[in-house]
Amino acid sequence: MNRSFIILIGALALGAVIFAGAFAAARQATVVCCTKPADNLDWLRTEFHLSEAQMVRVRELHEGYRPQCAAMCAKIAAKKSELDAALAGSTNVTAEIQAKMDEVAALRAQCQTQMLQHFVRVSQTMPPDEGRRYLARMKELTLGSHEEMEQSMSGDSGHEHHH
Amino acid sequence: MSDKHPLTDDPELSGLLRRSRPVAGLPPRFQADVWRRIEAAEAPGRPDGWLDWLANLVLRPRWAGGLAAGLLLAGVFAGTWQGRQVARQEAQMNYLAAVVPSADR
Repeated sequence: MNRSFIILIGALALGAVIFAGAFAAARQATVVCCTKPADNLDWLRTEFHLSEAQMVRVRELHEGYRPQCAAMCAKIAAKKSELDAALAGSTNVTAEIQAKMDEVAALRAQCQTQMLQHFVRVSQTMPPDEGRRYLARMKELTLGSHEEMEQSMSGDSGHEHHH
Repeated sequence: MSDKHPLTDDPELSGLLRRSRPVAGLPPRFQADVWRRIEAAEAPGRPDGWLDWLANLVLRPRWAGGLAAGLLLAGVFAGTWQGRQVARQEAQMNYLAAVVPSADR
């Protein structure tokens, strides 16, 4: 009984080591082999089964969108700096702070609209089914996080503000 | 001086002594029983429970090798599948980083 138990424990430990070793090695090899950090658009190709011609079009759209995106980011960052400066010495939400917050929010909305337009254009280069799937996925990955935050702040989740 | 005792050479006396200590006969099938016991002692002990049975199975080279190979293959398959998931997740993050404005994240 005791001898058999020790043998089985040893066999289990050895088996676990064999499995874990093979798992870790195969996982690492696959990650290294399949990840192409140089190409940001590689995910689109594999996930939405795009052809070379479709990838060329997507790449053009992507290259056209990036400067617009960077310009919008710079505008938002500048407006946020102004807001931070206005908030620095204030203990109240002044009219100026309110105006800056409205401007930041407007810029963010504009930025999101631009981003959604880009997603729509990209989806139009794909086969219809894949395009719809891409749009749904991008909505979930980008706007979804905002919606989750809003839902968590609303009464739906059981959280209430007490004044 | 002679070493011989005069009585030891007496055949009548020797026969009388032999008859006074009779040798018991072997029981029937004595030889077969001896061989059966020898075989039973040499045979591997029969497993008492499932734990012994399992331990005996694991110790057999063919089973041990098969189990090790099975675990190795299972590990490779599971690791490859997991690696693909991780790579896919990383690729998705790379794409998102490239299209979602940093100010909006």
